[in-house]
Amino acid sequence: MAWGDDEEHRFGGDEEEEELDENDYKTQKDAVLFAIDVSSSMLQPPPSSDNRKSDKDSAVAAALKCAYQFMQQRIIAQPKDMMGILLFGTEKSKFRDETGGRSGSGYPHCYLFTELDIPAAEDVKKLQELVEEGEDVDEVLVPSKEPALMSNVLFCANQIFTTNAANFGSRRLFIITDNENPHGNDKQAKSSAAVRAKDLYDLGVTIELFPVSRANKAFDLSKFYDDIIYRSPAEESDTSEGVKASRSGDGLTLLSSLISNINSKQAPKRSYFSKMPFELAPGLTITVKGYMPLHQQKPARTCYVWLGGEQAQLAQSETVKVDSEARTVEKSEIKKAYKFGGEYIYFTPEEAKSLKELDSKVLRIIGFKPLANIPMWASVKKSTFIFPSEEGYVGSTRVFSALWQKLLVSNKVGIAWFVARKNANPAMVAIIPSGSLNDEDEDSTVPYLPVGLWLYPLPFADDIRNVDIKAPPKPADELTDQMREIIQNLQLPKATYNPLKYPNPALQWHYKILQAMALDEDVPDEMADLTVPKYKQIDKRVGGYLAEWKQELAEKAKEFMELRATKRELEQQDMELVERPRPAKRQKAAPGSTAGSRSSGGQMSNAELKAALENDTLKKLTVAVLKDVLTSKGISTTGKKADLLERLEAWIEEHA
Amino acid sequence: MADKEATVYVVDFGESMADCHNGRVESDLDFGMRYVWDKISTTVAASRKTWTIGFVGLNTNETDNDLANGGELEGYDNISVLQPIGPMSMTELRELRSKVQPSRSYGADPVSAVVVALTMIEQYTKKLKYKRRIILVTNGESKIDDEELDAIAERLNESKVELVVIGIDFDDPEYGFKEEDKSTNKKNNEEALQLLVDKCTDGVFGTMQQAVEELSIPRIKPVRPFKAYDGPLTLGDPSKYESAISIHVERYFKTKRAPPPSASTVVVSNGVGQSQAFKDEDVDMGGTGFSGVKQMRTYRVNDPDAPGGKRDVDFEELAKGYQYGRTVVPFGESDMSITKYETKKSFTIIGFIPYDSYNPFINMGETGLIVPQKMNEEAELGLSALIHALHEVESYAVARYVQKDGAQVQILLLKPNPGLEDDFECLYDVPLPFAEDVRSYQFPPLDKVLTVSGNVLKEHRLLPNDELKDAMSDFVDAMDLSHYEVDEDGKPLDYAPVDEVYNPIIHRMNQAIRARAIDPDSPIGPPAEILLKYSKPPKKLLDKAKHEIGNLIDAAELKKVPEKAKGRFGKKDAVKPLSGLDIDSLLGGQPKRAAISSENAIPEFKQMLNAAEDDETIEKAVKQMGDIIRKLIKDSFADVFYSRAAENLSVMREGLLGYEMPMLYNKYLKALKKSLLSGELDGDRREMWYKHIVGDGLGLITKEELDVSDVTEEEAKQFAK
Repeated sequence: MAWGDDEEHRFGGDEEEEELDENDYKTQKDAVLFAIDVSSSMLQPPPSSDNRKSDKDSAVAAALKCAYQFMQQRIIAQPKDMMGILLFGTEKSKFRDETGGRSGSGYPHCYLFTELDIPAAEDVKKLQELVEEGEDVDEVLVPSKEPALMSNVLFCANQIFTTNAANFGSRRLFIITDNENPHGNDKQAKSSAAVRAKDLYDLGVTIELFPVSRANKAFDLSKFYDDIIYRSPAEESDTSEGVKASRSGDGLTLLSSLISNINSKQAPKRSYFSKMPFELAPGLTITVKGYMPLHQQKPARTCYVWLGGEQAQLAQSETVKVDSEARTVEKSEIKKAYKFGGEYIYFTPEEAKSLKELDSKVLRIIGFKPLANIPMWASVKKSTFIFPSEEGYVGSTRVFSALWQKLLVSNKVGIAWFVARKNANPAMVAIIPSGSLNDEDEDSTVPYLPVGLWLYPLPFADDIRNVDIKAPPKPADELTDQMREIIQNLQLPKATYNPLKYPNPALQWHYKILQAMALDEDVPDEMADLTVPKYKQIDKRVGGYLAEWKQELAEKAKEFMELRATKRELEQQDMELVERPRPAKRQKAAPGSTAGSRSSGGQMSNAELKAALENDTLKKLTVAVLKDVLTSKGISTTGKKADLLERLEAWIEEHA
Repeated sequence: MADKEATVYVVDFGESMADCHNGRVESDLDFGMRYVWDKISTTVAASRKTWTIGFVGLNTNETDNDLANGGELEGYDNISVLQPIGPMSMTELRELRSKVQPSRSYGADPVSAVVVALTMIEQYTKKLKYKRRIILVTNGESKIDDEELDAIAERLNESKVELVVIGIDFDDPEYGFKEEDKSTNKKNNEEALQLLVDKCTDGVFGTMQQAVEELSIPRIKPVRPFKAYDGPLTLGDPSKYESAISIHVERYFKTKRAPPPSASTVVVSNGVGQSQAFKDEDVDMGGTGFSGVKQMRTYRVNDPDAPGGKRDVDFEELAKGYQYGRTVVPFGESDMSITKYETKKSFTIIGFIPYDSYNPFINMGETGLIVPQKMNEEAELGLSALIHALHEVESYAVARYVQKDGAQVQILLLKPNPGLEDDFECLYDVPLPFAEDVRSYQFPPLDKVLTVSGNVLKEHRLLPNDELKDAMSDFVDAMDLSHYEVDEDGKPLDYAPVDEVYNPIIHRMNQAIRARAIDPDSPIGPPAEILLKYSKPPKKLLDKAKHEIGNLIDAAELKKVPEKAKGRFGKKDAVKPLSGLDIDSLLGGQPKRAAISSENAIPEFKQMLNAAEDDETIEKAVKQMGDIIRKLIKDSFADVFYSRAAENLSVMREGLLGYEMPMLYNKYLKALKKSLLSGELDGDRREMWYKHIVGDGLGLITKEELDVSDVTEEEAKQFAK
């Protein structure tokens, strides 16, 4: 695949010991089943309004739109995860019709609209038709006369998870309903539902409720759902993230409110590490969990497809290790060795282990510094989020909170030694707080990221590249003043960078094309790329300033150039004085070439190169000088002199 | 471009080098060779053909050098070229190792040996571009003829050779070493060598103590600056708007993660040897040693008619494609690029944000630096103005960056560095996340507690009280690293600055690999102290903050959670829904679930186990679950029920671990394995065993895992095969 200029990251032919646990962490698969209540109140369209921004969707339509968006996002971001849609309270009933499964009558008024699975193109299409075109050909969105039994709905979900998502690390049931009390005073029905809910809990299914509240009436959980919902085992404390009701109003449509609530649960909350001992000082350790709210999303890799059957089928690949004589190698024979001077240096497994084990799993503070002491260029890798947990030490949360508050108040960071797991490579991190202490300041600078502490990896001395160039500072002048105006007039919306406004065009395009091809639609030939600056706006807002600035720059540059030329002339005169007694031999290095008279080709200016190209004197440069020039331009220096010349000429024509 | 290097080591082998001096337990030769081997092995590790090494022995028993061999010159006795200049690999290293031993000879002139080395370099490098160096290691007991030092120095300078003299027990006032009982002979020789070095344009004179001590300071592999981008940085679109500005810039990497040395997968090839370093197969197998392992891929597809439901297909039968959900979309080779977003090389500013709206933890990776194109006045002044203006209004620029045509779009944050402190005016850039890179996770607030009923609490056991807050504040201030040390001028010294902290794994591995290459039989030493220096708070700081730490510990009132008490029977804390409703009593009220059903096996098994009051119930539950698992496997078409069976098995395993009844599980698993491998469960069920049971870690419960088990780790390993 051609996705990368990341060859430097890519590993050679050798198998690498990568950072395994980040991958382990991804293999924990997630299955989400939407259970959408199809009652007459859920189907009721909103009161008509002239306001363009008002609600147009019934609750069911909004829920289905959410599910549709969820499905598309899932294909991009979590291609191995499953989802399904179960409608309940429907006149029609449908479960799976495969043999061995229960017949439809087993779960009356439950309609399995999308089987729980990794979504296929057909699933997307079917849902798209229902959502976008309102094509309800099977008339599934017809409410039943009597409501569905919740115990039935829950057991139906249980069966779907049991069979389709066996051994999944995360299984979640999203219930979307506006009915706070589906069974009134029917105690029997309520207890049956509670028992089925406990079954789901024992099966490891988390129920997430997305209540839709009507006419500003609060959704009362105590009527029914408090018996159904369990605190997720991950939350050991009394704190609750709370169940947020979706509603329309406050300038928000029901749809956007629902989407924001559901989106916040899009990714299952998987911890990257847990029970991490966080040593604030000798004798003072608390426990934290780690998460990765930031992760670079890349397009899926290509796969191999077998076209010999009726349907295109993914070929599963298996790798076998073979030695130089193509003999299959058993796992027990495999050893790890290091290439060194053309040979392999071998350590026994015990030695290799002891070499890597510099410390056990720990996050240990070695002190604190002002945030400003971290150089602005000190960045190498994304950060990890940590949050306290009481699993190892009771009281961890309050100590963590005190530290978080102090760091925010004093604008300080912790400096810590960090080993993410046994045998992991140690790292130095800065511990940086997010969020704000001010209650009113609801929209903090990073509303899309959680509030807590971040482990910000610091580069090691080994990671710093020395750039052997000079860039002496120049004094600020009128150009600076004009530029200030430009900057202040071109602030991003809300004076912040909000990543959610900038989808990755490469990913979007990849999946857009793929979706069109999978669904047999026309392949689009254009797409809005939100990362492209709003050029028109720029011209409108600061066009005048820019034009002035350009003119000023041209003048200043001319002065500067002349100044330089004079200076150079003077220098050259000095040089000639010194150089006169030198033996003629010296000048033989590059006869007749102005370019060659400089000792290092890297110093040749573009103008000089251009002149050399025009005068056809480039080829008189020695290979060493050529290589210097090419290196300074970041161009490859491999090959024969002719290759080097060709590359340099191409570069000059393009750049100089 | 790798710079070419020619280095000749001149090492004194004289008989006095075999003695131990100044309280050392190793001989002078071993002491000096520590330095030399480290240097040579670093060169070997680099595996560069253009980094060449020669080796000259001083005071060897024999005489073997061109100058003496000619027979015309005097004063070149007992000097031997042990290795002519050339590339250095493990073969040469081993050969050289066998030659390094003290001799019975003495009195050869070190300066003559330098001349031998110089001649070797002159002959080898001719007039080509080389970095030339002679490194002389001696204890200075060998008499020096100091008459021609001037001429020799001149020749060294003329040939552009650097002379490094590292003397054993040489005095070095700067480093702070002085040998008290120095002989006059040694004193004179030291002075002569110092004089020679002083006459050289490029010379280093040092004592071995310092050289050896510095070996543990990690050396960083220099990497050439890489220019990632050379082109315009624009504001506005110059192709459409006349107002748009364009500054010609160059972008280099500022940080790039250095990877630790990576291990290769190898096998011991035929005719096993005992020694631990062998030839790479690519070079020469030599019939013994390790050889590299290659990966071979085979492809399989589902086929209902094939045995086991799958069959192999040839690679040639396959097309490339992408997955859209579980739908595969095949592409012809020519269509592959259609999903690739077309981009043009560009670097353009989207807008600006104030400093305080940015948080460093949203950085996605490595830093770049941006400078104006060289000798381009407009670019120099233009970029400078942008940098100063950003700095003055405390803003960053956000830009869209495409490194070259077809490369992926990146969003970069550009930070101004007006070079006020470091004299380096540039923009630094870091990558920012896209919408898809952000996962929304919800966490409860840290400064208040929201109860289930919706109340907001400001005082709670999960929140710090004022005492704890104050103690934390004092502690953080006391543990400040930025000014607890001061330099000579009283200016605060930043502790652990980025450029002084070395990656411990890289240098630990490199040191160990080099040590093993030089001496395959020695055990691995402990890691160098400097590598672990920053793994703990500095002791001085801890002593200073002792009081604050004590206060914080008192205010925190932490309690360690005891290891899980594994109660066997008796009611465990019942799990309850938000309402606190006791579901178990509801269950009790219902007709008792007599037998575990296959369709709801996991909840029913757990509930049965939870309610169990005797071993019999547990055995019953395990028996029922066991039958369900076997039936699932037996009924499974190919692997369709395997994961379900495996999940049931893992629940059984966990349950029995909890009840400390490992024997029950192990017994069941042994029987199950037999059935799986014998074909008793309707067909070939090996995949169930290897992939799902062994692969998912559902093997025997060992003694390590649970004390009461009688299965050892080794037995469990054997059993998993």
